[in-house]
Amino acid sequence: MAPTDASLEEVVVIAYGTAKKETLTGSVGTIKAADIARRPLTNVMNAIEGAIPGVVTSSSNGQPGSAPAIRIRGFGSINATSQPLLVVDGVPYAGGSSNINPDDVESTTILKDAAATALFGSRGANGVIMITTKKGQKGKNNISVRVLQGSSKRGLEEYSRLNAHEYYPMMWEAQRNQMVFPTTGVGISYDSANRVASGLTTRPGIQSLLSYNPFNVANNAIVGVNGKINPAASLLWADDLDWTRDVMRTGSRKDYSINFNGGSDKSDYFMSMGYLDDKGFTMRSDLKRYSGRLNVNVTPKTWLKTGLNISGNFTTSNQASDGGSTSFVNPFFYSRNVGPIYPVFAHNMTTGDYLLNFSGNKFWDLGNMGGTLGVPNRPSGGFAGRHTLAETSLNELNFNRTVLSARNYVDITFLKDFKFTNNVSVDYQVQRDASYENTIVGDGAPGGRSSREVGSTTNVVLSQILNYNKTIRGNHKVGVLVGHESLNQMDDGQRGFRQGQTVLGITELNNFTTINAATSYLDRYRIESYLSRVTYDYKAKYFVSGSLRSDGNSRFAKESRWGTFWSVGGGWNIDKENFMNRVKVLSQLKLRSTYGVVGVADGIGFYAYQGLYNFANNANEPGIVQSQSAFLNRELTWETNKQFDIGLEFGLFKNRLTGTIEYYDRRSADLLFAVPLPLSSGALTANKNTATMYNKGIELQLTADVVRWRGITWNTNINLSTVKNRITKMPESVPEFITGTKKYAVGASIFDYWLRSFYGVDPTDGAALYVAQNTAASSTRRLIDNKTGGKDTVTTSIANGKFEFQGSSIPDLYGSFTHTLSYKGLSISALFTFQVGGKSYDNNWAALMSAGNYGGALSTEIFQRWQKPGDITNIPRMDAGRLVDHNGASTRWLVDASYLNIRSLNVSYNLPKNLVSKAKISNAQFFISAENLAFFSKRTGLDNQQAFSGVTSNAYPPARIITTGLTFNL
Amino acid sequence: MKKYILSSIVLASLVFSSCKKTFLDTFPTTSVAATDALANTSNAIAALNGIHRVMYTQYDAQGQAGEGSCNLFRDYMGEDLVYPLANGSTGHITWYQWQNHRNVNAGDMRFLYRFYYRLIANANVLINGIDGVPGPDADKKMVKGQALAYRAWCHYQLVQLYGIRYDQTTKPNTQLGVPLMLTNLELGQGQARATVEDVYTQVNKDLDDALVLLTGYNRVGSAAKSNFNVNVVHGIKARVALTQQLWDLAATSAIAARAGFPLMSNTDYVSGFNNITNNEWIWGSRQIDDHNPFFFSYFAYISCNFNSTVIRTQPKAMNQNLWIAIPTTDIRKNVFDGNIGAANTTPVPPGGAKVRYQNKKFLAKSDALSVGDVPYMRAAEMLLIEAEARSRQVGQEVAAIAALNTLRTNRHIVTTPATIFVPSTSTGQALIDEIMFNRRIELWGEGFRFTDLKRLNLPMSRAGIPNHLPALTLVTTVPAGDKQWQFLFPQDEMNANPLIVQNPL
Repeated sequence: MAPTDASLEEVVVIAYGTAKKETLTGSVGTIKAADIARRPLTNVMNAIEGAIPGVVTSSSNGQPGSAPAIRIRGFGSINATSQPLLVVDGVPYAGGSSNINPDDVESTTILKDAAATALFGSRGANGVIMITTKKGQKGKNNISVRVLQGSSKRGLEEYSRLNAHEYYPMMWEAQRNQMVFPTTGVGISYDSANRVASGLTTRPGIQSLLSYNPFNVANNAIVGVNGKINPAASLLWADDLDWTRDVMRTGSRKDYSINFNGGSDKSDYFMSMGYLDDKGFTMRSDLKRYSGRLNVNVTPKTWLKTGLNISGNFTTSNQASDGGSTSFVNPFFYSRNVGPIYPVFAHNMTTGDYLLNFSGNKFWDLGNMGGTLGVPNRPSGGFAGRHTLAETSLNELNFNRTVLSARNYVDITFLKDFKFTNNVSVDYQVQRDASYENTIVGDGAPGGRSSREVGSTTNVVLSQILNYNKTIRGNHKVGVLVGHESLNQMDDGQRGFRQGQTVLGITELNNFTTINAATSYLDRYRIESYLSRVTYDYKAKYFVSGSLRSDGNSRFAKESRWGTFWSVGGGWNIDKENFMNRVKVLSQLKLRSTYGVVGVADGIGFYAYQGLYNFANNANEPGIVQSQSAFLNRELTWETNKQFDIGLEFGLFKNRLTGTIEYYDRRSADLLFAVPLPLSSGALTANKNTATMYNKGIELQLTADVVRWRGITWNTNINLSTVKNRITKMPESVPEFITGTKKYAVGASIFDYWLRSFYGVDPTDGAALYVAQNTAASSTRRLIDNKTGGKDTVTTSIANGKFEFQGSSIPDLYGSFTHTLSYKGLSISALFTFQVGGKSYDNNWAALMSAGNYGGALSTEIFQRWQKPGDITNIPRMDAGRLVDHNGASTRWLVDASYLNIRSLNVSYNLPKNLVSKAKISNAQFFISAENLAFFSKRTGLDNQQAFSGVTSNAYPPARIITTGLTFNL
Repeated sequence: MKKYILSSIVLASLVFSSCKKTFLDTFPTTSVAATDALANTSNAIAALNGIHRVMYTQYDAQGQAGEGSCNLFRDYMGEDLVYPLANGSTGHITWYQWQNHRNVNAGDMRFLYRFYYRLIANANVLINGIDGVPGPDADKKMVKGQALAYRAWCHYQLVQLYGIRYDQTTKPNTQLGVPLMLTNLELGQGQARATVEDVYTQVNKDLDDALVLLTGYNRVGSAAKSNFNVNVVHGIKARVALTQQLWDLAATSAIAARAGFPLMSNTDYVSGFNNITNNEWIWGSRQIDDHNPFFFSYFAYISCNFNSTVIRTQPKAMNQNLWIAIPTTDIRKNVFDGNIGAANTTPVPPGGAKVRYQNKKFLAKSDALSVGDVPYMRAAEMLLIEAEARSRQVGQEVAAIAALNTLRTNRHIVTTPATIFVPSTSTGQALIDEIMFNRRIELWGEGFRFTDLKRLNLPMSRAGIPNHLPALTLVTTVPAGDKQWQFLFPQDEMNANPLIVQNPL
């Protein structure tokens, strides 16, 4: 039984070097260049979703270049970072992952366990993503070309919402019920209220409240006293109610790269150039990137090897304004929530005709024409005075970024077994952010305002590493590494912000009259480390490793800043044992296990332990004021992460079926947290080392050639993972704390919802009911018969609703499967990702379920609301006076978070060799690829993948990108 | 030989490559160490100026501009400030609807609560630490005196909202007030609510201590009036005494407070209530253009001319019954516009709505700049306190009428030929009513109506006021003494302070 699979000889990239996969003790997953070559990825991080068990990503949004958030083996921290460390060519990378041309990437390696990550010490606790860029192959000179051309569309449908005919009667009902069920005093009769709401009295009716009458009937004849829409009502501007029509578009994506690579005995080279032009499916959202790389390695002397890998890129990007989930400039928020009766352009209110300006063009209905030209104001809920199309068209939000990254090493070998390496790496990035808000509508009006910010980050990492590698008597391999490393990061920036635009068209600051802000900053972040590692293997059958690292971090006070981290690991290639020769079916079997302690410091402020006052001048008098979140804590120190890991790797039937099953147990202690303080203390939060928690899980990966028949291959890859997160200890002074929809307490996970329990709807009057916290008799208390014959004490006052744990956003199971079907040169491959269980808190839907926000859009699920005594439903009465009680945060907005995503699909065809070789071309391939082809969740529009916390926001939906491509070598 | 040289270089580089000892000591460039606040008296003065500043900076969201916004919240809840347009902006409207202060998750309510306690925490650093700071004694007294005044004023503002009203006839007032913060607690600790009586006792003690320390202190600088001097402290003492129904103390304190502050001219009265240099202003915040408060400031919500959606689509109006009752010879009638259409001369922003009884009392610097000085205490209020206190005392009606007429004479429009000023001559309840009427028209928009109704145990009633739209008000009447007169503690306080007891829901 001899290992035949080449993967065992595979060399993988690990911390400070490479290792043979065969004798690696740690848990490592790799994505190779070939896996991403056919995918239209602007950001290489998007290849990670579904690729490796134990790794979960959020959905990346539709903004070109955006990266998903990534979590490896659960959620390591609460307030400190849980994001893995990004390492490019061996050194932590300071820039964003969108700087990297995916076509330059040879491999992306994910280090999951403590032994693999411990050598990154303080920064490796959440796992490490190691990107290694391509280098030249010895002995041949290649030219590789890759051309992709595609388009993008919205990858997630909009929530289903009421149309104008459905909306008017629903809002009528909200007004009518508010009069019948006042919050204090006695209401008026249904009959009177119906008449008021229909507009048949002197008091304002529903048309006055909604302001616009989009129908061809009189203002007081839209909704009858029976609550029904007038059957004669037809829309005056039916073609002008779609607010996405002009804001959204079909995007386009062009991605071209070429590289030249090759090498000789003493040197190799890799040169690449790339151009990307990715236009998102929303107006003013795009990314253009020009990138280049030069990677040269030379061996001028037998004892000396050195290399330089330089890359640079220039990126320009317009950004959609989705920064604030409920910000008026956010086109996704606006178009989702504007009522279905308001036109985009101004119309004659009687005829419905478009109004035209002096040059004969339509003009935007800004919603606050104040009656001029007969166009009324929209109500607040309909975003009076705001206009997503106008603001998106006229405003500017963009950046340009220049990045220079260099990695240099000098290897000196001496005394036969020793190698000394000196590494110098510099990442420099300068970004210029510009924003302009117009003079016509929105926050900049009427003066217009503009801001310019230039910020740079310089990251210098110096390391000196000494390696000793020795093979003793053929069977014993020993490796020792010692080293020193320093990281010196400097961030600085300046911002100017002015208003009062002089002439239109120029948005630089000189063109504005008044200074709003002129600020600057300079931050320094430093780490110093001493590190060491020992590895040993016997005949590649038994192997062990150990590492030790000491880190000092400037985020902590002098006496608390040094932390010592270590790991041990061992493995056994069982298949190399003689007794395994009899087990013919088994072609590979390896058992490995590791344990280690790693630290976390990133993600909290650079000066987290310091007590600070901020500048606050009173008019022109100098002033300072206490920071409400920075209080001196010299004891603040490392969060530690202890991880145990055991894995079994196997291959069956000559490795036709291979797989890995792993278990991990990760314990995070002294979690860094900004602990909420009583508001009465005048502070908001204080940084402390607080809780202890664990993440445990099982990971399974299986790959099989299910079918191999007459040249047809059907390969299936399955990844399955679980994660169980629990808080096991809280500090005595802060036994629990609540933040947003979550509460941290012993026994709960960090994503356990802590919400008021929605009980249901009272069939007698349609009031929203909550399980009562205080059950004493009061005007809001109700006793409801329950199924067991008893009474439940509930309340109509949400303020008295009982808070309870309500489940978690963490799924029971998540994973992916990939099917690849190939026949000769033709191959079809599909990647599906999914999760089962967990709960989402659907904020976006909650906003569409308002009991009476005049002018705001409504979900079609509102049809199920309570209407008359006896109605059994879970949707409370429409009632414009009860928005707090009927719509407040509660379990009502939780929904099962299971989903299935057809993440990527591609069809490729290798052009026949005999055909292309005439053109001196090799390896020519044509393909069609799609990203985010379909998404299935419990509710149309709901994106469960948006955030690990499960809470939805009005973010830029993921893009569905469909592309054609061609790659070939010369 | 080469090998040994190389090895030596390698070993040397490993040994000597350690960084300098200070390599890991990094400090921010946009903040200073907390300990610097008490390094010397000039820093302590800066820390006092910082408190003045956060009286008008933005907190968590729009419309949370320190005390100016809190003043609006309190006036929205009365009868005199009107949202006139059914389809207009709903900015801040949940205050008008009596929902915000009873919604534990409301951001505005959380802001109001944390705002006062933020000031108290900053004041406590100075009160408890200034004595040991190197520097002139006079500076220390000034800093400590002002910090004490802040602490007193903040506790007073809070207890009026969160506690059941102070009642002089049921002393001691053992109902629960608010946490009384005299020191800054260790992290993670909470403070229980003190009784209303204890809060008022401490408020009065702090004010008395402040008066001693501030005697002889003269305010200087362009933002002088943002400081507390003895006048301001007397003024707060007058307010507190009025709330505690200590009529004599209220009157004498009010007289002391307005010493040196004459009433303003008719011209100044219609110039926008945005200038701290106005003679009549005793206390206020000074805002400069550099602070550009954008859409969050007091004037972004209450001015008639700033170009925000709130002001364009929902200009604020006066209770029309109140406006109609103002004599046409009274300048205070002129800061509201009784006309509609072209006759309405309110300087609205481009596209701004015009409504009858529209406010034009408050003017922002321009339609593009919501800058303006924020009024907190004027001599007129002190005259009204004096008049009210005297009118409620037995045998002091003459003094009450005199104070009222001093104000009314000044507010009488100066014309040529002069119109006849009719001095007040009422007595008994009619006199009290007239004083309260003058208080309402004088202090509209300055944050007194809710607490006036509450301290006097009166109902809030918008019934019969035609320009209040029931579809917007939602609440027409609130009976005196109802639980809705007490604010609820924000959920964030409930979450983090185990000792807090919520008001009845």
